[in-house]
Amino acid sequence: MKSYYDIAGDGGSDIAGQVAAQRARITRNLEGIRHRVAIGSGKGGVGKSTLTTHIAMALRAAGREVAVLDADLNGPTQARLTGLTDVTLVPGAGGMALPRSASGVGVVSLGSFVPESDAVDFDSVASGESHVWRAAREFALLGDLLERVEWGRRDYLLIDLPPGAERTLQYAEFLGEGVAFVLVTVPSDLSRGVVARSVAALRKTPNRSLGYVENMKGYYCERCDEIKPLFPEAGAVDLDVRCLGAVPFDPALARSCDRGEPLPPDSSLPVARALAAVAAAVERSMEDPR
Amino acid sequence: MKFLCVPCDEPMKLASAAPPERGSLSVVYACPKCSHSIAMLTNPYETQLVSSLGVRISPAGTGAAASGDLSKCPFGDMVQEMRAEGTPEAVLWTAEARLRLDRIPEFVRPMARAGIERFAKDNGFARVDEEVLDKAKDFFGM
Repeated sequence: MKSYYDIAGDGGSDIAGQVAAQRARITRNLEGIRHRVAIGSGKGGVGKSTLTTHIAMALRAAGREVAVLDADLNGPTQARLTGLTDVTLVPGAGGMALPRSASGVGVVSLGSFVPESDAVDFDSVASGESHVWRAAREFALLGDLLERVEWGRRDYLLIDLPPGAERTLQYAEFLGEGVAFVLVTVPSDLSRGVVARSVAALRKTPNRSLGYVENMKGYYCERCDEIKPLFPEAGAVDLDVRCLGAVPFDPALARSCDRGEPLPPDSSLPVARALAAVAAAVERSMEDPR
Repeated sequence: MKFLCVPCDEPMKLASAAPPERGSLSVVYACPKCSHSIAMLTNPYETQLVSSLGVRISPAGTGAAASGDLSKCPFGDMVQEMRAEGTPEAVLWTAEARLRLDRIPEFVRPMARAGIERFAKDNGFARVDEEVLDKAKDFFGM
């Protein structure tokens, strides 16, 4: 009797072929993008999205063509961060036209399509047990966005990842080896421990880890005009990747993000200067050979 | 998944796939040698898992989809509500403009359509063609 591998094809449904064809269409649609950088962590609430927005703005201010894909489908924030919570979607000649923020960064975020009061949900013929299929559905949706948006010619596509160390690995496998990773932590061993798992997970992939950013490294006191400690000294957990920079916490940054008006890269605030330095470090890393 | 006709030792071919009924998909495979056919009847979880990949189940070349509809717009209900509240009335779309609409992600098509029809109405266009879409793109700074 024949075995599975003795039979060519699958009898006509060609499910594997359809998946492979979509991967090929995604590759073609992203051909105009020079650098793809995923910003992840493993840990939630460390400021991945805020950093993504501001790295994108700093690169844009340096004359680069930049787009951001908000891959956090369950907690999309890029739309609010960039003031794009209410956009009209336009079918262009090569897919969905890329919505642009006031700073000229292209942004695709489910937050532009779904009000914050609504959960991101999917129709299902199965009641309950959504853990069985939901990740597959989310990646299919992400594939649809990669394939059918007019990404055009860009120097950078920044991909804002959801939290979860295992998600970092899943996204590395889904996005392919051409995507480099930046990991974000806060200066606590608790957070560094989770990020270390992401670093370890990425080592199992061919993807390049550019390094990590230490966010909320102290807070900026406007009255004293100095950076003061926010977390106890950490460092017991060695991340074993390069540090791309440290960014202080600043309430002014939080306020501007809530308003959808990110801090301009030329702001004189220490946090803006730190964010611009991180963007420059990311760019240097991408331009460097491995 | 592949099916083998054991008496003939011959791979069976997908013959038809019926749209899901109460979440169950009926996919018929037939042996090209002896014509014996079998039906694979999925439970809703199996149906959902396959449809979550964003693929369609249909015999090669027929274009008929049994599971495609299941993976459509996750926000379909919300968009239907938006349309019912209904600012935009039906606006004609040219075939070329409709083709562009078909090329954008499936789950945002209803929203894009509603938005463009609103734009067309607000700007006095009786129908949506490629020129209107290009004007909208410029207008919204894309």
